[in-house]
Amino acid sequence: MLMSSRSFSDISKELQSENFATMPLLRVAILRNIMIEPLVTYLRYGVLKLGLNAQVTLGEYDTVFQEAIAGSSTVYDQSTDVLLVFLHLEGISWDLARNFNALSSQAIEEEVARIIDYCQAIVHNLRAKSAAMILWHGFLPPAYPALGIFDAQSDAGQSHALQRLNTALRAVVSAVANAYFVDMGLCLARVGESHFYDERYWHMARAPYTLEACAAIAQEDVKFLRARFGKNKKCLVLDCDNTLWGGIVGEDGLNGIKLGTTSPGSAYRELQQQILDLHHRGIILALCSKNNEADVWEVFQNHPGMVLKRQHFAAWRINWQDKATNIRELAVAINIGLDSMVFVDDSAFEVNWVRQELPDVEVMHLPKENIFRARQQLSACGLFDTLTVSQEDRARGSMLTAEAARQQILHSASDLHTYYKSLEMRVVVSFVDAQSLQRVAQLTQKTNQFNLTTRRYSDADIGHFIASAESDVLYIQLEDKFGDFGIIGVCILRYEKDQAYFDTFLLSCRALSRGVEDVLLTQALLLAKRRGATVAVGEYYATRKNSQTESFYGTRGFVAAQQDGSSASKRFIYPLDQALPIHPDYFYAITTHLESE
Amino acid sequence: MENLVKQIVSNVMAVPVDSIHNDSSPESIDSWDSLRHMNLILALEQEFKVTFSEEQITEMMRVATIISTIKTLQ
Repeated sequence: MLMSSRSFSDISKELQSENFATMPLLRVAILRNIMIEPLVTYLRYGVLKLGLNAQVTLGEYDTVFQEAIAGSSTVYDQSTDVLLVFLHLEGISWDLARNFNALSSQAIEEEVARIIDYCQAIVHNLRAKSAAMILWHGFLPPAYPALGIFDAQSDAGQSHALQRLNTALRAVVSAVANAYFVDMGLCLARVGESHFYDERYWHMARAPYTLEACAAIAQEDVKFLRARFGKNKKCLVLDCDNTLWGGIVGEDGLNGIKLGTTSPGSAYRELQQQILDLHHRGIILALCSKNNEADVWEVFQNHPGMVLKRQHFAAWRINWQDKATNIRELAVAINIGLDSMVFVDDSAFEVNWVRQELPDVEVMHLPKENIFRARQQLSACGLFDTLTVSQEDRARGSMLTAEAARQQILHSASDLHTYYKSLEMRVVVSFVDAQSLQRVAQLTQKTNQFNLTTRRYSDADIGHFIASAESDVLYIQLEDKFGDFGIIGVCILRYEKDQAYFDTFLLSCRALSRGVEDVLLTQALLLAKRRGATVAVGEYYATRKNSQTESFYGTRGFVAAQQDGSSASKRFIYPLDQALPIHPDYFYAITTHLESE
Repeated sequence: MENLVKQIVSNVMAVPVDSIHNDSSPESIDSWDSLRHMNLILALEQEFKVTFSEEQITEMMRVATIISTIKTLQ
């Protein structure tokens, strides 16, 4: 969905006809020292496509500093969700922007330092007064720098001064919680200088940007909002014929398809490289193709032009079933929601069919006559963008591929017990420490399905639990012969007199239905007993997503406590003088580090 | 072309298209302020692939003037 592909007038109309009433509100405030009114329309449109109703308040022209510093603002308050800041360099340093060659190198340094101080004061005051997500738009690099071709030859040039300014500003902004730096240089590069600036309206109304520029900036901002509100996509579902290679393998044969180092096969090869690069930042890949499965795998195994390999795919449906059914099955196999998937196909029929049958799935049409734009279309979409990219994300691709190998064994193993045994699962149960603290807090924040109480804790909260003598925080790690899962389960015990209370008990959805939770439960009960507790108390707090854990304590020998039926929370009792529940015996190794404290 | 101009004025000013006539202007349409005028000019330029001069922009304060101005540029 490129906003620039639709006219401003059509978008304005759609914003009026759309029924917003049912959509959650997103309160956006804009602080600016330029006129940027057309951006509001593009921004509301992009936010509408996220399923949110943006209510935008614009600050008065050139009041950024006042709005940030003053006691109270009419533009933003505690209920504001997003704050956009636009500071145009011409408005705060005419010298750096337009009078650059008159400045001594010392004057340049002083001016850069002054602007950073100024911006720092603004962003810190905004953070102190509002919890909103801050999107700080950086300064634009000069397309025609002050010293002409010489500008690029030394550190004394205008381009370099602007780079230093932006680098320092990025550091200031990224050190502030929930504040992000928007690289305006990217927007300028995508649109091009002559299409980005409207000199006429700059002089008439201090409005420097064209509609194209406003669309590009809004599109970039929406990527941040998509990621912030968890609407970013996680899985790319790919067609094969005329998407991963040119031609139809079933008709053209292995040697007839177009894929390799010469055009047009090189365009497919570079598209595959782009897809692989997405995979390397944690995007899950799947195949959905109407084909004979053997034909497709023959290309994967034997075609020298293939960049993508079978091991990069978490799941596939290569058959003659309709694609909507296949995508539904893929969602189950990979264990993600349909709303996390992007389906890519060259066929208008398939794209429309999936769009109609599965409105939650994002579809991307890459018609074969546009193959030379396909790579850019994929990299420009921003659908997969996240606010952080962790080591875990980078490893996720290979972790899910290992999952495909596990499924293969599952098909060949005669029963589940044999299957689990063949996985050679090794688990470690330990007290949380400085190294594991962040991951444990992250699990409490992210886990929804197998989470008995769904209490969200920050790093600092977990730190308090560790420091307290009245609580223990345990985690469980899992590894099997296909790969390392890292930390996938957490249990927080709180002690009150002779009771050990399960404040938190959760398991990452990556490690479901392997019996890992039983190991963690048994170890936690053992520990509680050692701490002198005589009774353990489990709690189930119902949410929209955790119904699969409702019977967890009940099926492990806990007895439901008497209570009035109205509460969303149910308690379960386990007397610790009785034998502990037995966990499965198919684990290859169980190691505990719970003796130290 | 005249209908398209009226449709664009309606879209940008957020008023029904059948309330727009040749003599519609900021006097008859409340939302037609100087900021919406900028949005309107930019939207017209985008749709008709033309560029107005500063003088034309300040004169185009009536639907009829907008139509005649675009005609001179096409």
